[in-house]
Amino acid sequence: MPEKVFSLTGLSFRFPEEEEKTLTDLSFSVLRGERLVLTGPSGCGKSTLLYLLNRLYPDNCDGLVDGEMELFGKPANDYVPGEINHRIATVFQDPDSQFCMPTVEEELAFTLENLQTPFAQMEPRITAVLERTGLAQLRNTIIQSLSGGTKQRVATACALIMDPEVLLLDEPLSHLDPFTAKQFVHWLEELQQASNLTIVAVEHRLDIWGSFFGREIQLGCDGRITADQNFTPRHPFTFLKRPSAAQPATALCAKELSVTIKDKPLLAPLAFSVRRGEVVIIAGPNGSGKSTLIKSLCGIFEKTTGTVESDRIGYVPQSPEYLFLTQSVQQEVAFSGASTQTELDGLMASLRLEEIREAHPFAVSHGQKRRVAIAAMLADKRPVLLMDEPTSGQDAAALLELFDLIDQRSKEGASFLIVTHDMEFAAGVADSLLLIKDGKMTGKFQAYEVWCNEELLAMHHLLAPKGVARPAESFA
Amino acid sequence: MHDMNPSVKFIVITASMLVIAFFFNPWTPLIFWLGIILLQLTMSRTKWKLWLLFMLPFSIGAFGYLWTTIVFGAETGGAIIWSFAGIDVTEEQWARALSLAFRVMAFSTLSLLFAFTTDPVRFIMSLMQQLKLPPKLAYGVMVGYQFLPVMKDEFTQIQQAQRLRGAETKKYSWQQLLSMRRILIPMLAGAVRKAERSAFAMEARGFTGEPRSAFYHPIQIDRTDWLMSGIFLILLLTSCIGGSWLG
Repeated sequence: MPEKVFSLTGLSFRFPEEEEKTLTDLSFSVLRGERLVLTGPSGCGKSTLLYLLNRLYPDNCDGLVDGEMELFGKPANDYVPGEINHRIATVFQDPDSQFCMPTVEEELAFTLENLQTPFAQMEPRITAVLERTGLAQLRNTIIQSLSGGTKQRVATACALIMDPEVLLLDEPLSHLDPFTAKQFVHWLEELQQASNLTIVAVEHRLDIWGSFFGREIQLGCDGRITADQNFTPRHPFTFLKRPSAAQPATALCAKELSVTIKDKPLLAPLAFSVRRGEVVIIAGPNGSGKSTLIKSLCGIFEKTTGTVESDRIGYVPQSPEYLFLTQSVQQEVAFSGASTQTELDGLMASLRLEEIREAHPFAVSHGQKRRVAIAAMLADKRPVLLMDEPTSGQDAAALLELFDLIDQRSKEGASFLIVTHDMEFAAGVADSLLLIKDGKMTGKFQAYEVWCNEELLAMHHLLAPKGVARPAESFA
Repeated sequence: MHDMNPSVKFIVITASMLVIAFFFNPWTPLIFWLGIILLQLTMSRTKWKLWLLFMLPFSIGAFGYLWTTIVFGAETGGAIIWSFAGIDVTEEQWARALSLAFRVMAFSTLSLLFAFTTDPVRFIMSLMQQLKLPPKLAYGVMVGYQFLPVMKDEFTQIQQAQRLRGAETKKYSWQQLLSMRRILIPMLAGAVRKAERSAFAMEARGFTGEPRSAFYHPIQIDRTDWLMSGIFLILLLTSCIGGSWLG
């Protein structure tokens, strides 16, 4: 029988400032070479458990731990700070805040210096790990210039250079588009098979992992284990196709729109129109000009050529807090002064903001922040809403909420242009798709046209949504 | 100059500044200043256009010193050398004023020399390796340095988003400064979150803040450093002795 890597008996954990326990009475062990995933709703303590396993907690938060935890057969408290991190490596969620040095090579060297590796061994170990992870050509690249997917690979390489026995992953895919995420999983699978790593991951986008994991531990809202079972590959969460609410009237009409910034053409001239109540998904590979398009539509970027005739346009950035200017939700919605009190009350009620009307806009949940932003835009009489990546890093419940929100508002005549990589979401919500590649618009298509056009999908780094009946298949 | 060890360069430059500060004759800073420019001309790859731009405010400052000392200087000893518009300029005053002005020029040129020939990353690494700056502090600064471009992006994004909301741009600069608060709060909220994540990421990779035993890019003190320090010392001595002798 393989050695036990982790062994927890009756483990509980509580943050000092909170009354209730975040984790309650956890007992399980993890064997060497296992591939385990921790699942559960947002805020159930999955990440906390991960941080307990690599000993970032309890020291960093003065948390209170009950019960026993053994790492490699030795009580967790017997390890001095930093000691365990040589054997248990971690890759975090946010690709942007994991690095402290300019280049890939120096970043890897930072890890080795932490381990007090002798100088003579550094060079060969760096070369070896770059070979193993297939990143050799990036050795002297500036990390901040890399894409999110590549940054996650570099972060993984930084973890693997320690020759760890366990790799912990904290939602490593949440900032990656599905195409890149799939590549990452494939890459990780090869690495795992080559070195018999033990992998423990926290993840809510299980469908992308295919059959990577062997075991699943589910945590409930109360921080208890609700299931410990063999992992079954998941299908992505599919949305029911929303009936189109598009009206004949045109809400937005762009002609010959192009953007050039500092002599760099970011967007070639394009033309399209959007009807009232229509939901348009803007999709394409990373860096293809999707954000540039919506920023030029709403006037953040200067248009180089072309015209946009439209109802007033509102914009909800990926972090809705960027928009907030006041101290309470109520003031935030009323900020523009363009709506009467009755209109405001109606909006607040229909967007379920009444219970938080006095709250500080920064202190509410992410979904609520987005509703506040949308309410503010609608109250400012901006019925064309542009949303930048609203699906990124959201769990199924949050996506469903977003879906309902869009469905309801579009029925009331609001038009949406949404940038997203989530094609399951797009399949449910979209009336049409606007595909962009290398700063050029391929075209505006009816949603169903795109889902059965393999060539079009592959060209724009999209994965066909699952669960959508495709004409070709249904005939066969 | 670029290949010089940043810590050594830093010490040499600070020391020269301190020494020059004790000489009150106009010749010492003048000779030193000319020497520095000569050094920079012959031994560095400076972008002179940028250099001139940076020197502009310092030059204006130096001239300001010259002018105010002449006009308002309390020292009135010595022979009157020239006078106009009812202002008598004495020898003493003139010497004082020139000394101050040249000193400003010498100090600013020296600082720019350091700034233009030193890579900030190498400087921090060298501070840690030669001057035993604690790694905790050094890598903290490094992380901050990596965040700068990200913060800049975030700043523009927030500004743009808020302008779209109709947050009016204020007319007066003090009002603008006040409205900066609106941008800074979301930025700070983001920065705190980022800082915590970075700290976790570093710790998870075995960083404890302990001094390290080996470096991948050791920054050493070699012949260039001795040579350059020598040149600086000669220049310093020449200007001190020459200055006193001429003065």
